[in-house]
Amino acid sequence: MSQENEKVVTSKPEATEPHDKNVKLLSPGRMVARRFFRSKLSMVGLLMIVGLFLFCWLGPIIYPVWGETQQDFSGKTEYTYSLVTYEENGETHSFYQIVETGKEINSLAAPSKDHILGTDKDGRDVFTRLMYGGRISLAVSFIAVFAINVLGVVLGGISGYFGGVIDDVIMRICDILMCLPGFPILLIISTLLDAANVAANMRIYFLMAFLTLFSWPGTARLVRGQILFLREQEYMVAAEAMGYSTSRKIFKHLIPNVMPQLIVSMTLSLGSMILYEASLSYLNMGVRAPFAAWGTMINIVAEDSNILQNFFNVWGPPGVCIIIAVLGFNFVGDGLRDALDPKQRR
Amino acid sequence: MLKYIVKRLALAILILLGVSLIIYVLIRCMPVSFIEGKIAEMNQGGATIPEETVENMKKLYGLEDDSFMGILKGYFNWLGKLVRFDFGTSFKYGAPVIDVIVDHMGVSFAVALIATVFEFMIAIPLGITAATHQYSIRDYVVTIAVMIGISLPSFFFGQVLKDFLANKLALFPPSGLVDATASNTGIALLGDYFMHMFIPILTVVILSIGGRMRMTRTNMLEVLNSDYIRTARAKGLRESVVINKHAFRNTLIPLVTSLAGLLPSLFSGAIITEQVFDLPGIGNVAFKAMMQADIPFIMGYNMFLALLSVMGVLLADLMYVIVDPRVKLTK
Repeated sequence: MSQENEKVVTSKPEATEPHDKNVKLLSPGRMVARRFFRSKLSMVGLLMIVGLFLFCWLGPIIYPVWGETQQDFSGKTEYTYSLVTYEENGETHSFYQIVETGKEINSLAAPSKDHILGTDKDGRDVFTRLMYGGRISLAVSFIAVFAINVLGVVLGGISGYFGGVIDDVIMRICDILMCLPGFPILLIISTLLDAANVAANMRIYFLMAFLTLFSWPGTARLVRGQILFLREQEYMVAAEAMGYSTSRKIFKHLIPNVMPQLIVSMTLSLGSMILYEASLSYLNMGVRAPFAAWGTMINIVAEDSNILQNFFNVWGPPGVCIIIAVLGFNFVGDGLRDALDPKQRR
Repeated sequence: MLKYIVKRLALAILILLGVSLIIYVLIRCMPVSFIEGKIAEMNQGGATIPEETVENMKKLYGLEDDSFMGILKGYFNWLGKLVRFDFGTSFKYGAPVIDVIVDHMGVSFAVALIATVFEFMIAIPLGITAATHQYSIRDYVVTIAVMIGISLPSFFFGQVLKDFLANKLALFPPSGLVDATASNTGIALLGDYFMHMFIPILTVVILSIGGRMRMTRTNMLEVLNSDYIRTARAKGLRESVVINKHAFRNTLIPLVTSLAGLLPSLFSGAIITEQVFDLPGIGNVAFKAMMQADIPFIMGYNMFLALLSVMGVLLADLMYVIVDPRVKLTK
């Protein structure tokens, strides 16, 4: 028994060895990885994303000088003084009375050693808020995209695999949800959250949960279409003939074949989800001050044109961060699409 | 064909009913009551409003009952009026909802139309050069440039352009639609409109070129790899003829189809862009109405959007059949 096993093991490398030494055998997965890592754009995108993640999660640990909502009170202390004169025993005395009017918030400070990117209107460190804001923006987008895809795969899979009445019902729900105007609906839900007294730093999670409820139809349709196509393939007929269980057919034969397209659409929708989150926060519906999100940090320019015109260091960096994140995901998604395309020969 | 259209239209009505029910229930759950806001405003003016008047006002607006059945009743009330093409009167603007929508649609439509024309004019040639010079420097430069365009958040990029072009260089007015200090008429007024709309249009164009260009590039690449292009080249046709006559015509199929899908975006207005530049377009008006729980207007506006997207999908499917004779309607 054990000898037999050994034989199998030893003969295995020989079996994968090509007959011609010049020919290199690659598994499909390795080929995809090779194509992906060869593309410069996707590497740049990957670097951008990894860099942002390190910046957001390791940044506050390495640079713990300021907190997310911590205000800098080290502003210039202001004094008022007045000349006080009084008479005593016929002599006139005078002295200056100096009053310390309290420490001012060090607001809108220029970039310096203390504040790498300066401070915002309320004296909070912009550089630190960038990191904490990035945590929210990135985490929320990841959770939302993941949830959307789980919902979409399950419902689209059921719809495509079983067909019939179930398919009809799910597809009609899809039709309705796809026609719902997303942004106005979220505006309405945002006011509902206000009424429910949801904590300022939790609002965005609730909003994104609702967004998930409205956004799965896109994925569901993609999965359904793919499964309808795959169901007619010969290997599925073979699986049927072998008498495989339904769950095995779905999870072992159908889902892996949908994955390539799903991964691409997930990566690309991560970018748009970050934009969505930022827009919500920009309209003051998502994360609200004093908590930071990239969109929230730009929000200030809508109210204060002085900051718009004179303090680019307050609202420029979060915008740049959004662009880097979205661009990174777009590059990676694009690279993945090319790498996963079996027709590609490069 | 006719049967198919009728079937799709019936389905569209069903979809719109579902959409309207969801939106209506959500709106009625909104905590911001228009009447309460109005009464608070009146109270600030010094007058005290008796409880009776409040009740009367609620009755007048049809908001007296906030229970589940009350909401349902309100919905059917609204639906009944809708059948008679009565969208009700906007609380906030005090005019019929349709009038408010039509009044403010012009600005949004003008911005969207001009932007779309420029988008196609710029994106299609870019997509074609990128495809015909695949993997060359030109392809990379164009691709990276438009990718950056896609990745720009509209509110941020709008503010950057506003700060640079309007505030720093003072080439264009920063916000609004008309110059309040000058009373222009005729062509001067049109010019004034254009000056105010320039930056918003520029923002929209730069943001949207990317998608269109990538679509053109992908389709063009697919067409260029097909057999009949090889045949055309083998016949010895000039490259320009091959590209512009044989390949481009087939690339047009998805582009023309996507034209129908643009229908909603042409009329619906851009909430964020209009906010940034304070344009009195439909998106901006709707945003303000939503903040004050103007129920008839929100319903009207959202149904208008839903109707547009239903029609957009239907038109896109029909266009596909018209443009590409290989496609047959199955359902």
